[in-house]
Amino acid sequence: MKKSETLPSFSKSLFSGYLVDEMVFPYPEQDKEEKENLDLILETFRKFAEDNIDSSKFDEICEVPTTVIDDLKELGFFGLVIPEEYGGFGITSTSYVRVLEEVGKVDGSIALLIGAHQSIGLKGLLLFGTKEQKEKYLPKLATGEMIAAYCLTEPSAGSDAGGIKTRVVRDKKKGVYILNGTKMWITNGGIADFFTVFAKEEIEMPDGEKKDKITALMVTRDMGVASSKQEKKLGIRASSTTEVIFDNVEVPFENIIGERGKGFKVAMEVLNSGRVGLAGGSVGGSKTMLKQAITHVKERQQFNRPLIEFEAIKDKISQIAINIYAAESMTYLTTALIDSGKVDYSLESAMSKTYATDRLWENANEVLQMAGGIGYSQEYPYEQWVRDSRINSIFEGTNEILRLFVALSGIQERGEYLKKIGKALKDPIKGFGVLSDYAVSYVKDRLTKERIQDVHSSLTESKALFENWAKNLHITTERVLMKYGKSIIQKQIIQTRLADAMIYLY
Amino acid sequence: MNIAVCVKQVPDTEARIKIGEDKKSIDESEINFILNPYDELAVEEALKLKEAHESDVTIISLGPDRITSSMRSALAMGATKAIHIKIDSTPVDPMITATALAQVLKEGNYDVILLGKQAIDDDNAQIGPILSELLDIPAINVITKLDIQGDVVIAERQIEGGVEKTEAKLPVILTTQRGLNEPRYASLKGIMAAKKIQIEEKNISLTDNKIEIVEINNPPQKPEGKIVGEGAEAVPELIRLLKEEAKVIS
Repeated sequence: MKKSETLPSFSKSLFSGYLVDEMVFPYPEQDKEEKENLDLILETFRKFAEDNIDSSKFDEICEVPTTVIDDLKELGFFGLVIPEEYGGFGITSTSYVRVLEEVGKVDGSIALLIGAHQSIGLKGLLLFGTKEQKEKYLPKLATGEMIAAYCLTEPSAGSDAGGIKTRVVRDKKKGVYILNGTKMWITNGGIADFFTVFAKEEIEMPDGEKKDKITALMVTRDMGVASSKQEKKLGIRASSTTEVIFDNVEVPFENIIGERGKGFKVAMEVLNSGRVGLAGGSVGGSKTMLKQAITHVKERQQFNRPLIEFEAIKDKISQIAINIYAAESMTYLTTALIDSGKVDYSLESAMSKTYATDRLWENANEVLQMAGGIGYSQEYPYEQWVRDSRINSIFEGTNEILRLFVALSGIQERGEYLKKIGKALKDPIKGFGVLSDYAVSYVKDRLTKERIQDVHSSLTESKALFENWAKNLHITTERVLMKYGKSIIQKQIIQTRLADAMIYLY
Repeated sequence: MNIAVCVKQVPDTEARIKIGEDKKSIDESEINFILNPYDELAVEEALKLKEAHESDVTIISLGPDRITSSMRSALAMGATKAIHIKIDSTPVDPMITATALAQVLKEGNYDVILLGKQAIDDDNAQIGPILSELLDIPAINVITKLDIQGDVVIAERQIEGGVEKTEAKLPVILTTQRGLNEPRYASLKGIMAAKKIQIEEKNISLTDNKIEIVEINNPPQKPEGKIVGEGAEAVPELIRLLKEEAKVIS
């Protein structure tokens, strides 16, 4: 996608003082026919899950039984996002994430199995692959004949993905890349046949200098990929998590994704689009927890009254409901932005993931608290929910890193603009154009105040608050940029606070 | 072989039933509707016949617009055609429903007509037998096993304390009971294929209503449980209460 065709990011614009309200208001509605199809898919999953998925047992045996995986393949749950022309079902992001939500209601490990396959495992091929590559692999990935895994993280490279040590060297005679290295914490690592692998490659730059760059490759199990045994984990125990080891694996040249040395962009784009899936799964998990908690507090009596009649319990239940409402709203607003096809959604995806997974953890903790001693027992589902929830704020970008990403990407545009003004002021005559632009935008900024029209009367106050805080976010962004200049990059506490402000505004 | 399956959309088994303000109907506003589970068995059996005999499976249902979602469920399982008899609300008199269905069934020349033994909402279990009369073809009800060879139909049906083996010739009406099969889940492939099938709409003038609902009430609330004591010493008192109060033993 060319940059010129991309609409501005809603959140980046807001940091810069522009409220592009038409992107988010009114709330997007799903197409009727698409919704009908989605309902059928959800119904199939619900029925299947009721008869076949025993989350607590899968947790105990630390795997999803092969028969269950095979049935899910048969039903089509591995080809949801793959276009019909390649043997999949080509459902929209909104429908896909809604399916992950439904799976997340039942079992976190299965949500990951299906999610890691489609949200990230095969996404590089889907986004950047050539027609030939897609024709070769997507039909097999759609049926689940091949399960996909995304291999970026290494023992010494987590948040600092650029620091990977896995390496490829081109063997021109054989026409293959020789791949060496070890990847870690790979979801589906033990059951995958298709690996999207990121490795360092020495590339000769135009000026003749040699530099290490990241190249993305598609590697299949039969090329000689090895997996370690299943990791013993706190939660999502049924999900396959292993090391993936490449020992002189020969990967044909044609299996490169995108261009040589441009793999970092592939890695980041895949995660940008994939993250929102975790938000969906988290919303699903939270809904199940709330349902169970409500049943419990209505039944459980203390002081001759059901718990639900106590204010402290009502407060907890309400807070969880609010958390879910907000997380759900963010998630499906984001998927609608993705489905619109021409929007930069990287920040919204990261914010949905951060918010929904933080709340999932909080919700799991609170429902366990309301269940009391029962909650702590393995006889009940609460303790597994707590264990299963915990991973979500760690993987596909820790929530801390994602906040820094949101803030830095958000203020970047403004920073560049202010730098231009700085330069312009030094040379007043050349700078007239820039300065007058700034004056115009200054006026526009102040216009954000009355941007949102036609809100329901009950929301008038919220609207005013939102507009006011949106303005404050922008003003603060300018202030910190002027105060810290380039060194804002080191100011992680300020970045985190800016990101939190944006998350709440979104 | 030409197969028809008559289905009904019913409230989800988990739906909380609220009685409407007129006290004569159910408040549908918060109800999630599903395909009648016994009809799912009928659809599954039809699909098995379809796979063995390469035939069309036509779903026929009578009801308001909302029922098309359940007809789509049946199409997603693998049925090939669908006819929607459009009416404003589902009749309470099974005679009306059966008469309308019979009219459509006559036009289709079906060899096998399958339907659930009853709908789980009003539990009338009338449509199969009435259709048999109206169409003048045999009906085998509450079947748990089916075998069709040529034009000979052999079905097993549950009877009190045993199994009855019944033989009939095509065309035949069959009403389905649990145990007959395990209905398949609609696959993504089926769902996408169903999307392309047009549901045929029919308008039929209904016959007169001969049944009137006078009033609907909730079942009486279960009385609160009573703990009579603990351990062996509580047993005599428990027996006394079971005899004298609950009157369940003598």
